[in-house]
Amino acid sequence: MSDPLSASLHISGAGLHAQSERLRVVSENLANARSTGQAAGDDPYRRKTITFESEFNRAYQANLVSVKGIGADKAPFTVEYDPGHPAADEDGYVKMPNVNTLLELADMRETNRSYEANLKVMTQAREMVMRNIDLLRN
Amino acid sequence: MINEVSALTSSSSTDGLLKASSTTRYSMSSSELGGTGETPVTSFSDAMAQVSQGAIDTIKQGEAASIAGVDGQASVQQVVEAVMAAESTLQTAIAIRDKVVTAYQEISRMSI
Repeated sequence: MSDPLSASLHISGAGLHAQSERLRVVSENLANARSTGQAAGDDPYRRKTITFESEFNRAYQANLVSVKGIGADKAPFTVEYDPGHPAADEDGYVKMPNVNTLLELADMRETNRSYEANLKVMTQAREMVMRNIDLLRN
Repeated sequence: MINEVSALTSSSSTDGLLKASSTTRYSMSSSELGGTGETPVTSFSDAMAQVSQGAIDTIKQGEAASIAGVDGQASVQQVVEAVMAAESTLQTAIAIRDKVVTAYQEISRMSI
């Protein structure tokens, strides 16, 4: 027997955790948007992707969200002509990371919205608990 | 947590309180008389002790979580969750204590 209100608090907590992991991945991608390899022909930073999964929690009898895994984006790297770069190949081209800054920013906004939604649920559940306690107090 | 609250709202309403006090009185008198009053009746004080032990545990968890958070071992969400649980448990405990004290005062003010 589990209390639905504390379960929803816990579920939103798991959502907050998942979204903060997602923001971490976004910040990694953004920070490494120009990270190239060290030597000629080296691969640059590869964009990371995050996937979520629903996992059943027996104690709360509810589906919590968790991070399934952090994968690598298989999209091809872009190349830039920069003969003076240490990672430039014999033709003078440097492989740049497959990070699209615009996409990352959109992802960040979505993360933010999702985080806010989970926080809203948490606030609501807490308010309901407190109102229940007020009923006991009056 | 709310289960505790709802259990207590049902037992701390005047009806439940009177029932609890009358059962304890009955079991005491039957044991004094040497009767076989060995039925496992959970008295009101037992229930209170159980609930307050749970409350103390929750508050201790909240404390431990905040220490871990300051230490950098727990995430902000975990700390907030534990502290919120501790807070609402404390509020519940205070509300119940007020109820119990009020009930006691009502009984002591009763004219005989």
